[in-house]
Amino acid sequence: MPSEDTKERIIKAVELGRTVLHYGWIPFIIYIGYTKSNPQPSLIKLISPLA
Amino acid sequence: MASSPSLTEIDVPSSSPSLLPPPSGSPLANLYNRLASWRRSLELPNPGTAENLQKEVKTTLLTNFFFDGARADLSKSLSVNPIFQVTHSFALGSQTTPPSYNFGAVFASNSIFLQGSVDHDGNVNGRLNQGWSANNVTKAQGQASFTVVTVLSSQAGHSMLQVEHDYMGQDYSVNIKAVNPSPIDFTGIYMGSYFQSITKNLALGVEILHQRPTPEMTESTASYLAKYTGSDKNWIATAQVQPAGILQATYWQKLSDKVEVAADLQLIAAPTRRDAIASLGAKYDLRMSTFRAQLDSTGKVSALLEQRFAPAFAFLVSGEIDHFKNGAKVGVGVMIESPSMTPEEMGMMQMQTPSQP
Repeated sequence: MPSEDTKERIIKAVELGRTVLHYGWIPFIIYIGYTKSNPQPSLIKLISPLA
Repeated sequence: MASSPSLTEIDVPSSSPSLLPPPSGSPLANLYNRLASWRRSLELPNPGTAENLQKEVKTTLLTNFFFDGARADLSKSLSVNPIFQVTHSFALGSQTTPPSYNFGAVFASNSIFLQGSVDHDGNVNGRLNQGWSANNVTKAQGQASFTVVTVLSSQAGHSMLQVEHDYMGQDYSVNIKAVNPSPIDFTGIYMGSYFQSITKNLALGVEILHQRPTPEMTESTASYLAKYTGSDKNWIATAQVQPAGILQATYWQKLSDKVEVAADLQLIAAPTRRDAIASLGAKYDLRMSTFRAQLDSTGKVSALLEQRFAPAFAFLVSGEIDHFKNGAKVGVGVMIESPSMTPEEMGMMQMQTPSQP
């Protein structure tokens, strides 16, 4: 059984990871898609529903 | 315990027959090799994963496709290989769900699949599948929302994390899954399933569900799966039984290239509750449209027409009448797909490709 100190650190790390994924997941996919696409699309097409 | 090492020993040659080690002198190794070759000689097919037990029925029945109100999906394919797609979805005027806007992004290459969506409240859904080889897939999916502020986020209200691993052997499938596992006290929900082909048609499996909401409280339940596939693969019957008194039985048949029918029966016979729902549905795949119709024992009759007017434009109409409650739902939707490139650009791409390294 880990100590209270370790527990607290794990909880903090989980919370941080969750926040990072919450804000970063969609930008991450868009970044991966944007850099690996062939041919590379223009940014306006990426975001706007109408372009 | 004794069965697990023998399984792995058998797996290795079955997944890569060319790497079969030469039979050693040990009688045990000989036995393993003979068992493995005997098992291979049966030529049993892979039964599919336990999760996909009712896949055919689910894609035929209307339940998972029905919507009401108005909705529009604008999707844009930005790249074909690897697949990269963004989607804007709008939904309005539904009786059951509030109006919503949803932005989604999908990236998929041969081994990895990334999907994410965010709605107007900032709730994020994510999915990641990583294929290590043709038979090994790890999947993770999660949900995060702004409304939750608690200490252990992975267990709180709307946040969810699910990690699973699928292994598909020559004639069996194994899946392990953890929902909201906590690294501190190992609370969460854990699932494991094993699904094995017994004959060319019949596959049997077991699924163990281990719930551990608090460290002091644990609960395990098992459910049993059976799947019978017709010899020419045009009909499938499945059953899933939980000893607590829940039975789900399905039947699916492909009547022709264009018509599929499915039936689903859910029975609950627990001491506290007795209930049963049966649904019957049909799906017609026509050249430019898909039509689904469904009838169930709660008195609902529903239908969905998906008509494609052009390759990039589809129009959807759905309707449901509840005869017992005297209610009705109607839905209309459009699906517009815009390709990333104009036809001229496509032509130029094709001319350029050979010169690229």
